[in-house]
This record gives sequence, C-alpha cells and structure tokens, in this order.
Amino acid sequence: MITKSDLNRINKYLWEIPASARSDMRVPAHIYSSEELLDDLLKDRTTSQIMNVATLPGIEKAAIVMPDGHEGYGFPIGGVAAFRMSDGVISPGGIGYDINCGVRLLISPVRYDEMKTRIPELTHELTRMIPKGMGRGGKIKLSMEEMDRVLLTGAEWAVKNGYGMPEDLDRMESKGRLPGADPGMVSDQAKKRGDDQLGTLGAGNHFVELDRVDVVFDQTIADAFGLFPDQVVILIHTGSRGLGHQVATDYLRTFVSKMPEYGLHPPDRELACAPIDSPEGKRYLAAMAAAANFAWCNRQLITWEARRAWENIMGMPGENLMLLYDVAHNIAKVETHRVNGEKEQLIVHRKGATRSFGPGNPEVPEIYREAGQPVLIPGSMGTHSYVLAGAEPGMTHAFGSTCHGAGRRLSRKAAKREVDAPNLRKQLELQGISVEAGSYAGLAEEAPVAYKDVDLVVETVHQAELAVKVAKLRPVGVIKG
Amino acid sequence: MNPLGMSPSLEFMPHTADVRLKASGETLPQLFKTCLEGMNKLLKPGFCHDNRVLDVYDKIDISAMDSTVLLIDFLSEVLTLSNVNKAVYCECDIEKMSDHELKGLLKGKNVEGFDNDIKAVTYHEADVQLNEHGDFETIIVFDI
Repeated sequence: MITKSDLNRINKYLWEIPASARSDMRVPAHIYSSEELLDDLLKDRTTSQIMNVATLPGIEKAAIVMPDGHEGYGFPIGGVAAFRMSDGVISPGGIGYDINCGVRLLISPVRYDEMKTRIPELTHELTRMIPKGMGRGGKIKLSMEEMDRVLLTGAEWAVKNGYGMPEDLDRMESKGRLPGADPGMVSDQAKKRGDDQLGTLGAGNHFVELDRVDVVFDQTIADAFGLFPDQVVILIHTGSRGLGHQVATDYLRTFVSKMPEYGLHPPDRELACAPIDSPEGKRYLAAMAAAANFAWCNRQLITWEARRAWENIMGMPGENLMLLYDVAHNIAKVETHRVNGEKEQLIVHRKGATRSFGPGNPEVPEIYREAGQPVLIPGSMGTHSYVLAGAEPGMTHAFGSTCHGAGRRLSRKAAKREVDAPNLRKQLELQGISVEAGSYAGLAEEAPVAYKDVDLVVETVHQAELAVKVAKLRPVGVIKG
Repeated sequence: MNPLGMSPSLEFMPHTADVRLKASGETLPQLFKTCLEGMNKLLKPGFCHDNRVLDVYDKIDISAMDSTVLLIDFLSEVLTLSNVNKAVYCECDIEKMSDHELKGLLKGKNVEGFDNDIKAVTYHEADVQLNEHGDFETIIVFDI
C-alpha cells in the first residue's frame, strides 16, 4: 500500500512513485494531484494499478494518473500510458470496455433568461427523444451491411444519412472517423449486440445535460469556441454501447490465451496485451477503431435526437444547436510526441483521460488551431462542468492529455446508502435543475456526493498546465441514463 | 437465502466505480452457478426468483487455460447471450466440466429491459481458490 511518504513531490501538482518502488516497474508512475485530492487517490487501488501499468513492455517516460483518477480494473480510471511502436504493447484494458466513451457539447444561440421557463419541458422532451436502450432497442435497426458501413466511416455515416451537417464532422476528434477500422475484425456477436443501439444513451454515468455558461475564464478562447455568458448548451456523454463492450471482451479473451506465447506475464490479467505489431495486436487495433467509429456515430445520432427535441419545444431549427467539439476519453491513438527531445511515434492509451493538444497542433481542427483543442470535462449533476483548451506544456508533461471528469470517490453502494434520492431530486430542483432519471437508485449512484470536487480537479490540471480553463457550465436540466 | 433473496455465498463488496462480487461454492460447478446468480441480480434483480418458467434455451461450450479464466469466459459468454437475445439466463445445466472446459445448457426467459447495464465481466482480481472452509471462492469485478 502506497502512502504519501512513499511519494516524491516533483512540484505542487505532481507526485512520483519512483520506478525503484517495485522491482518489475520499468518507468515511474506520475500522479497529477493537488494535496487536497491526494487522500482520495491513495485510499483505493489506484496506485497499485498504475504501478502495474508501469511494468508493461515498451512503456515510455511514465505511467500517468490524472487528478480525477480512481481504481478501475487493470488500468486505473484517469490513466495515461504511451508505448513505443517498436517494442510496445496494445492493451484493451488500457482503453476500457466502453471504447470511445466520450463527450460532446452542443451550443445554442439562446441565453438562459430567454428560455428558463421551458427548461423542464425541454428536459422531458430530450428524455422522450433519446432512448436509454438498456435491453431495449433504439429507433434504428442496422442490417449487417449498414453496420459495416457505420464501423468503417463512423459519424460520416450519420451525416450521409441525414442525421447531421457536414460541418459537424470538422468539430470532432479525428473527424469522427478513426483510420484503420476494419469491420471484418469485429465479431458477429459484437455487431448483434450493437445493431439496435445507435442513438441510445445507455446507463451508469452516461447522461445528457442542459447547462448555462456560468463563468468565462478566458474571453479570447471562449470567443473562438463560440461561448458567451448565460448561453444554453447541451452536453452529451456516452460511448460505443454493447458493440464496444463486446469488442473489448472478445480481444481480452484472445490476449489472455495468447500472452504466454509472447512471453508476456503482466501482474493483472486485465492488463492482457499483445505486441503492437503482432497479428492479434493489429486485429485489435482495427476492431477498436471500428468500435470508436460506432461511438462517434452514436453520439451523432443522439445529437440529431437532441436537435429534434429542441425544434419540438423551442420552435426553432434544431440546426441552431452547433457542435462545439466531440472528445474521446477511452481510446488508444497513434500519435507523435517528443521524448527526450526526439520525435517518436507512440500508441497513447487514455482510459478516463482526454486528449488536450495545444495551440498550433495540426490534429486540432483549423477553426480552433490558434486557441488549442477544446476539452470537455463533465462534472456531477448539481455541480459544474467545464470547457478547457489544450495547452502546449501538457504535450511534454502528459503526452497531450488531461482529466476526463470529476472522478468518483464513493462506491455506488456507498452512494445509495448515503443518498436519499427523492430528497436529492427536490434539492436539485430547488437549485433550478430539472431531473429526469431512469430510477431513484440510478440517481443516488450518481449524486454529487459520490464524486470528487470537480472545481479542484480542474484547477489542478489548469495549474499543472495540462489544459487551460475557458468556461464553467452550470447544469439546469439533467437526463441520467 | 437471506431476506433479499440472495444466497449466503454471494456478497457485494465496495468498489469505487464498478461492482465487486465475492462468491463461493462447495464445488466448482456450484461456484459457477453462484456467480451466474450474482450477475443476474445485477442485470435484473428478482427476475429469476419470480420467473419459474424458463423457455429460452442456449447451449454453452467454453474452454480455457484454468478455472479462473473459464469462469470469467463463461460469465462473459452468458452476458453476451443475454444482450443479444434480450434474456436473463437463470439456470445452467452443466453436462461436462473440468478446470479447462464447460459444456452445458442455459435456460432463461426474455426480458423487456435490464435494470443495470453490465458492460463486461473483468479478469481483474478474479482468482478461483479454496478458502479456509474448503469451498471454492473468488472475487469478480463487473464493469457497469
């Protein structure tokens, strides 16, 4: 068990577990955290899990935990690890089962004061238009041929079929289509699991949230992103649904049985991995890209549903809701970074961590290139969410990565024990937040008390120069999965 | 059974984000059945208790390097079938079983929807061992 006394303090917001802490660690573990957040990070298995990540072959520089980090399975949530293409590995556990779980933000031209009486109605309409899809299908049932087109082209499929505008594609990470996807590497079971799930939200911590822009921290970047005070915006958080879950399950099973042949014996089977250039590694990368494309298409379909809800209640075109950006926070990507002054191609795993490329980076859409990549950080309902921008120092500190949310601090069981859900709903409504939840149990599990203080998390990444604060959002309507 | 209808050999334990289940059984097949019961209590609490007529049948045939991997792969396969067929499989008649192989017949019933969305059954912390009472025991972490 790692305690605070085992950590080297690099600076006010960065702590290190040296590689010497365990004989099998190849690199140190870096923990981005303020002193206030550190206790939560040390109380569960986060540190032992990130030390396990530090043992994987080909890992470069450090295994990194973000300030919203907490225990997961295999990798901790909030984990970042980059592996050399030459001798590194790809690990499905470093991406998670919900491949390309992510967030997108739609911005409206309307101020909160102009529509506040319609917020409950709009929240209800969003609930009606966006299916949860838990064991029930959504509105679209894909044939196998159409499914393959979705897996190959991602959000492009949605736009081509009338579920979005061409300019939406310019405002997504990787333009909503990860290269290298091969539908043939996705099992029939995975395709069947996802064939009626496009446009569905799922459960757990997935949500749609109506927010108002509460504070603008950086006017110049806010202008570039199209944000203004009191603006109504819509945040969407979901991923690749059952299709992604099955892809990860299928390849973890393959990797677990294949690892002995490659001489790989990670300390946790959930870190099952394969050499990047092995046949299994290549097949997983192609399947992961296909599942990531499914997720982008799913969020695009939900955007279409949100635009229709906006039309129905506001009586104005749904296309008035412009996409600001769409980020993935469970994904592995081939990227070029500077390591020891030299450019190197790496495969960067982010599990519960967001890419945050700084200004000028060619992978940032041209419209935002001067400002830096938009970064979307959902908080918990009843607190705040944030819009940040990628920062240049973060490129060298953490392979251009930052946090992905508030980060849980209480188990779901503990949250249900502590929270009186009907009372929570009343409290939220007194704060002016309309709530639509699938169940009281689900509401209690996602109560603000179950999460860390998102203000502290965001302040940490801002001070650590992993990202720059742009705007703070305050929820006014919440739809929980 | 306790008042919640939960077998005494099942215990849900704290986990910051997901669900950690501790399960035991006097025999290996019993452990597998107990774990299946635990997963169904997450998917659709009370469903198997309330539904005695099971009319969805699917064969299952799994092989693995050891009993721990066999257990996780078994639960993963059942979870896949549950999602694809929109059913909860309350029972598994095991026809053949060793540390490396399981063949059997799953019996379930269709559902309108699940109460919880289990993304996956993980290998994390899973380790089938004999406990101090001579029973088979393991932890299982479900990603939800």
